[in-house]
Formats: sequence, C-alpha cells, structure tokens
Amino acid sequence: MRSTRVTLPRDWTLGLFGRIPARMRTPLGIICLTAAALLFPLVNGSDADIDSAANALAFAALALGLNIVVGFAGLLDLGYAAFFAIGAYAYGVASSWQVQPEWSSFWEPFRWLDLVARYHQAGGDVVHFQVSFWLMLPIAAAIAAFFGVLFGAPTLRLKGDYLAIVTLGFGEIVPIVARNTPSITNGAMGLNGVAAPQLFGYDFGVNATPYYYVGVALVAFLILTSQRLKDSRIGRAWMAIREDEIAAATMGVDRVRFKLLAFAIGAAFAGATGTFYVAKLQTATPEMFMFPVSVMVLVMIVFGGIGSVWGVVVGALLLQILQSWFLEDLSEWLHAFGRLVHIDWLQRVQLASSIELIFGLILVLMMLYRREGLIPATRRVSGLSLEEQTAEIGRGGFDGLTAMAAWDRADSGPLLEISGLTVRFGGLVALRSVELSIPARAVVAVIGPNGSGKSTLFNAVTGLVPADGAEIRFAGHDIARLRPHEVLERGIARTFQNIRLFPNLTVVENIMIGMHARLAAGPVGALLRLPANRREEAAARERALEILSLFGNRLLPRADHLAGSLSYANRRRAEIARALASQPRLLLLDEPTAGMNPAETRELADQIQSLNRHGLTILLIEHKLDVVAMLANTVIVLDHGEKIAEGPPEVVRRAEEVIRAYLGRSAALASV
Amino acid sequence: MMSDYGVLLQQVVNGLSLGAMYALLALGFTLVYGIIELINFAHFNVFMISSFVGMWALELLGISGQSRVLTGLALAGALVFAFAVTMLAAGVLGVAIERLSLRPLRGVPGTAAMITTIGVSYILFNIILLTVGAGSENYPNPLPVVRWQFGEVMLELKQLLIWGVALALMVALHVFVSRTRLGKAMRATAQDAEAARMMGVDVDRVIVTAFFLGSALAGAAALIFGLYYNYTSFIIGYTAGLRAFTAAVLGGIGSIPGAMVGGLLIGLIETLGGQLIAVRWTDVIIFSILVLVLVFVPTGLFGRATPTKS
Repeated sequence: MRSTRVTLPRDWTLGLFGRIPARMRTPLGIICLTAAALLFPLVNGSDADIDSAANALAFAALALGLNIVVGFAGLLDLGYAAFFAIGAYAYGVASSWQVQPEWSSFWEPFRWLDLVARYHQAGGDVVHFQVSFWLMLPIAAAIAAFFGVLFGAPTLRLKGDYLAIVTLGFGEIVPIVARNTPSITNGAMGLNGVAAPQLFGYDFGVNATPYYYVGVALVAFLILTSQRLKDSRIGRAWMAIREDEIAAATMGVDRVRFKLLAFAIGAAFAGATGTFYVAKLQTATPEMFMFPVSVMVLVMIVFGGIGSVWGVVVGALLLQILQSWFLEDLSEWLHAFGRLVHIDWLQRVQLASSIELIFGLILVLMMLYRREGLIPATRRVSGLSLEEQTAEIGRGGFDGLTAMAAWDRADSGPLLEISGLTVRFGGLVALRSVELSIPARAVVAVIGPNGSGKSTLFNAVTGLVPADGAEIRFAGHDIARLRPHEVLERGIARTFQNIRLFPNLTVVENIMIGMHARLAAGPVGALLRLPANRREEAAARERALEILSLFGNRLLPRADHLAGSLSYANRRRAEIARALASQPRLLLLDEPTAGMNPAETRELADQIQSLNRHGLTILLIEHKLDVVAMLANTVIVLDHGEKIAEGPPEVVRRAEEVIRAYLGRSAALASV
Repeated sequence: MMSDYGVLLQQVVNGLSLGAMYALLALGFTLVYGIIELINFAHFNVFMISSFVGMWALELLGISGQSRVLTGLALAGALVFAFAVTMLAAGVLGVAIERLSLRPLRGVPGTAAMITTIGVSYILFNIILLTVGAGSENYPNPLPVVRWQFGEVMLELKQLLIWGVALALMVALHVFVSRTRLGKAMRATAQDAEAARMMGVDVDRVIVTAFFLGSALAGAAALIFGLYYNYTSFIIGYTAGLRAFTAAVLGGIGSIPGAMVGGLLIGLIETLGGQLIAVRWTDVIIFSILVLVLVFVPTGLFGRATPTKS
C-alpha cells in the first residue's frame, strides 16, 4: 500500500528551484528576464511583432506610473491618460513643423544649443523646433509632473470616489483642449512630421527594433524606480496614506506633500511615456488619450495586482499581447470552427473589436473574486510555530529600555499647557474652556463618562480637530494651529481608541512609518540609494525590531505579518510600539488596555510605568480605575466637555462631582 | 431673422427640455449615492441600453422611423406602453447589476465597488456594440410634428411631452419617498444605514428599490432621448451620463430636489454655453463645473452629503 503512494516528488520543479540559494533567486530571475527582453527582436524577426511589443512596453510604463498613484498612494485616478497626452504633445510640438514662430534674435541662444533651427521662407524666416528626443524625455516628465501637481492639488481634500471623478474631468478636458487648439496641436487631424529620435547619428525612422529597446530601457528604469520608492520612507508614507490617512498624519506623514508627490511622480512616468509613444508613432491625435485609455491602464493594474510592481508590468504586457497577437488568431480559429460546424455567427465573431468587453469582464471578475490581482503586492507569510505563539505574561515592564531611551530627561516644568480649549461640532459643545497642565515626566489620566470629550481632547492636541481660540503650548511652543504631522514632529505621539494601524502593511512597516518624521530620505535619496540612505534604512529597520522586541515574543515573531492579522491585544501593542518609534516626548494613549484580560492589562500597565520611569511623559484615557490608580500621578475628570475635577487619584475618586457624573445624583448623596 | 434675444430664449426652451432628461438621469445617480455612497458608472449604459429597449418596444407596435404618426388614444397608448416596457426593463437591469456585481462587494472598503461599475458599464456597452453594431439607429417616433410659435420662441409637442413625463415622474418619486413606508425606509437608510437596519428596515430591499427606481428613471430618460433626437447609438451613454452626473453633483449628490434643479441647470448651460461660447467647448465648460463644484462647494446646491474626508 504504502510503497505505491509516494513514488515521484510531488513537484520536481520546486526541487530544482529550491537548489538555487534564496538570495540568488531574484538576481537570477532579473538576469533571465533581461536576457529574454534583449534577445526577443533577434529571435522574432517580425517587425510587426516587435512593434506590438514596443507598444506593450509603453503601456507597461503607463501602468507603472498609475500604480504609483493608485497602488501606492491609494488615489484613484480615472484621467491618467491626460498626463500621457501632455507628455506626447510636449515632444510632438517641440520637434515637429507644427509651431513655427517668426525668427527673431530671441531664438539665437536656442539655435546655438541646437534646440531650434532657422528656416528661410518666403515672407520671413521661421523657427523650427528640433529638441532632441533624449532631452525631451526628462523635460516631458517634468512638464507632466507640473500638471500632476496642478490637477492633484484641488483633489487633496476629496474622498476616493470624488477624487476619481475630478481626475476623470481633467482627463476629459485635456484631449478636448488639444482638439480645440489646432494652432498648436493641429486638432483632430493630429500632429504630423514628429521627428524620430536619433542616437549618435542613427535615425530611428520607422524601424520598430530601436524603439523596442528604448521601451525596454524605459520600463526597466521605471521598475527600478517603483521598487526603490516602494521600499523606502517615501513608499511607506504613500502606503500609510492609502491605508489610513488620519493615522498617517498623526504618525508624521505630511499628507499634502506626499499626495502631490505621488501625483507628480505618477504623471512624470506618463509624460516620459507619452514622449516615447509619440516619437514612435510620429503623430499624435486627441483620440489617443481619451477615457478608454485611462480605463485600459486601470484594467492593467487591476489585472496584474494593484500596488504590485511586477504585477502591473505583467498585467500590461499580457493584455497588450492578448490584444495585438492572440485575438486575431483566436478569431480565425473560431471562424474555422464555425465553418466546420456550420454555425453562422461563429464565422463572423471579431474578438479584436470586443477587447473592451474583455476589459469590462476583467474589472468585474477581478473585483469580485481576486482583488489582489494576478501577482499580489503582499505575500502571505507562514504561520508561527507553537513556541512562537506561546507568550508568557511578563511583569515588571520593559527590559532594555535604557539602551534606547532617547527621552529628554532635562524636561522640567509643564510640558503641555492647554487653556481656553473649546471644541464645537455644530450645536454640540464637545469641550468647553478646558484648562490643563501636564508636568514633564508625569503620568496624567483623563477619565470621564462616554461622550465627555476625552478623545476630542486628544484630537484637539494632535491637530485633528481645530482648536480655534485655544492656547496649546508644548514645551513652551504654541502648537494649537499645527497640522497633525507637525504636532508629531514636535514630539507628541498618540494611539487611537479604535486602533488605527495600517492593516495591509507588515508590523515592522507600521513601526517604521512611526519613524517617518525622524528619517530624512527624500525621493531622490530613495531612488539613488546612496550609502547614507542605506545606512539610515538599515538602522531604522534594526531599531524597529528593537522596539518590537520590547514586547517579548508577542510582536517580534510576527514582524513580517500584516498588521491586520494580529490579535486585538497585539494590535494595541503594535500601535503603542508605532507611537514609541517616533521618539515622542509626550505619549497620548487612548484606552490602551481596552479589551485586554486582567493579566494582559497588568502587563501593559507595568510597561507604561517603565516608560514613564525612563522619562516619558504620558497622558492616558482609561476606564479601568485600578490601572488609573496604579499609573497616574494626577487624574483629570471630564464631564459633558468640562473639567469637573483634578487631583491625585485617591482624592478624585472621592470627589462628589465625580461620583455624580458616573453614578448619578442619588449615589453622590449616599456616599457623603 | 431672429433677434439675439429670441435665439437665447429659444435656447432656454431647448435647454429646459434637455435638462428635464438630465434630471431624470441624475436622479438615478443620486438615489444610489444617497443610500450606499457609490458612484454608479453602470448607470451610463443602463441608460444607453434602455434607449434600445424603448426602440424595440415601439417597433413591436409596428412603428419604425418617423413615418408612422399616431394621434389621440393610439398615441397615448403607444407611449404608455413604450415607457412602461422601457422603465421596467431598465429597472430590472439595474436590480440585476446590484445583485450580481455589487452586493457581493458590500462592506468592501475603498473603490472596489466603483471600479466594478466601470467594468459593468464596459460590458453593457460592448453587448450593444457586438450585437447591434456601431452605427446609429433611426429611432421610431410616433409623435406628430406639432409646433407652436410664441413670438420668437417655438415650442414643439415633443418638448411638452418631455416636460410632462419628467414632471409626472418626479412628483411620483417625491410622493413615493415622502409618503410610503418603503420611501421612509429609504430616507432613514440614507441618513444612517446601520441605525435603520437596527430599527428593522430591510436595507437590502431599500438598496434594490433605489437601483430599481433610479434605473427606471434612466429608462424614461432614454426613451425621451430617442424621441427628442430621433436616433440612438451604443455611444450615447457616456456623454449624457457624465452630464447627468455633473447635474447630480451640482445639485448636491444624494439630494433629490438637487438632482432635478441640477439637471435643468446643466441643460441650460449646455444650450446657452453652446450658443454664447462655442459648442466645441461645451464639454470643457461642463467638466469645469464638475471640478469646481466638487472642489469648492462639494455639497452642491442642496447637498447634505460630504464628499470630503471627515
């Protein structure tokens, strides 16, 4: 029985693949891919096929750009083709016969730079633009990036679906403007005589092969750029915005700056691609950049995997190849089959013209059954061993804090001072003239019945709700009108009552987003990966693991798990770890022990206490009064938005006002 | 020779006719958005397909082209039949879309449902493209050509018909939403779906109703489109749909009176903008309004919804 069962290894390819050392797999894969891409035109001599491949590469480049905006930053753009158009017309106008101003001495320096030529014509000399393709690639990218910021800026406040509509509006406007300004674009007739690129005197002309290689280089560069941005401070900030904008802002991400950066970089990809595409076609008409093109690029990234760099490239290439190679063949086969079985309509089916039907089906089916796409952006990790899963309740707070404590022990006097804080939501007064002062290195607890304004107090301090007219001073500086990320930069970090981790990012990525404000890498640094950036990134990762290790084996073995997969208590811990990663001077904890059992509560209380012993000032909202009694030096009681008591826990506990707020008037009378 | 004033007045009359159609179409966006906060791109092509259904319904009565003119009861009967069939078919199509493609995605955060409606829209569009073809169809129209001249302004029978149908449907919708049990459930769900569910409202039924009513109104708009322009084609959904959507946004998406007023305004902007500026810039004007309203007055004229992040 037994011997008949397992005769062959179940998957012999896995064994073969398994022999390649893990760290060699990626480079080997890339070498194979590069070789295949470079050899393709030599193996397949058909000019039409190479031409289709070059077009497919252009769409892969577009998909990579849209992926920055939609996949990384989570901003759904339905008018992405507008930037493709802008890049295309930028090169198209700068190297064709379309615009020919009269010659004047103004153009002399440009002629000297070889950007324009002087043409003699009856009736006066004219300027002929002949900007080099290679120069226009970055220029078109920059022009498109400018429009990316211009179109992106108005949408910053809008919700996802409205943002989509505004971008759709811009996407409609751009080709109409192109059609209606024939003096620049030649309108619906299309630009003509766009110059082909030249390289060392070799004119690309209409030969597909050189364009193919430029396309390969472009896509390779954009893959590298996407990959490097994704695994950097920049990419993490984008993904934080995508996952939870509010949490991202309170963890130090400047939403405006990073959204605009995503729009700009996404548009720049399209701008460069537009230049490539129009140089290849040597014409541009407004019809090339309408809504269906934007949708097609969206279909590509949905198909491949939103947010997945290799996924969107594969998605784009597959759909383009399907469109230009297989649909024709498939139609012919169907016609042949139709003739064979004498079915009339089968002989007339034109699959190539039904590509949009296929796009529609892909969108619907992927959304219903596989939203993560063909190649998902996040990999599932294997489960933990039993040993890794068993956590012992630890007591006595954090070990090893001394080594990493960066808190300023010199803080003295009041660290946070609030006066005249009133917050209104419509007719409801959530906070009324609240005054409070939190001494450095204290633990202050805020208690009060539900709806008494405790969380609103945190929101006002962290800049999430406007604190008009109030004075909020942190370490001597007014922070009342700062935006959330600026509050974090000053040294105030918080957790949320309803836990706002970034669920589709790993635990360690969550922690590293907490460090956002303390890291320096910009987009250029992230792209170039200079030694300083590499060091910073490595140190940040190490420190993130160090912070996770504070919680023993509760978080560390799960460092590469998605935050959304953590247990409730571990999510609370991870959120505290994320706040600690920002090196705060004041930590705001909103019900940190909610939902924890008594043992876990005690463990966390010890940990909070040990943080305070090392110099961290803590303001916490807490309902468990034993925790409050154990931790707090001072208790502040809020009721209906007003501070009704303040003092040491044992005093506040007996205050009549407090008993009345919690238990009602009769209880207050009985206790006297 | 008409005076400039007369031309403008005529364009106002034309604009109000177009606007009534946009208002009916905009109501579909607003009803669905008001309840599940979804921008439904499938609505564009529910409208387009319905215009074909209306065409087939009229052809079923033996009416083709504009040659066969009916009057009196025969005309009324034919119109009632055509509107009933078209609105019913459109409503069923809307409900089918909700059941098959959107209900499974309920509760999925983000833009998945909206992307799905783009996909559905593409599918509907291509079903017509592949079966009927890309040409435009001569629309059967039994209406006699009756024109009245008031000074410099000419009024046509078909315009009166549009206004009458639109007004009747809007009054019916208003009565339904404000007077009936299901209408009250709709309003409650629009305000707070969770609370409505806990109070015993069958939210699924409310959502299905919103899709049915919205799509049925799109069906009426589609038949009006065919009778007004005497043609239909696979391509009419996109432009009309986007304009109607702009109307819904302008009026304040989620607001029923907003959709009505927004529709009329967009109709006027289309005809007057075409007259005063240039037809080729009409779309730029309308999309600029869309962008400007969303960015600066996101609640629109009557809106209660907040398209900005809380």
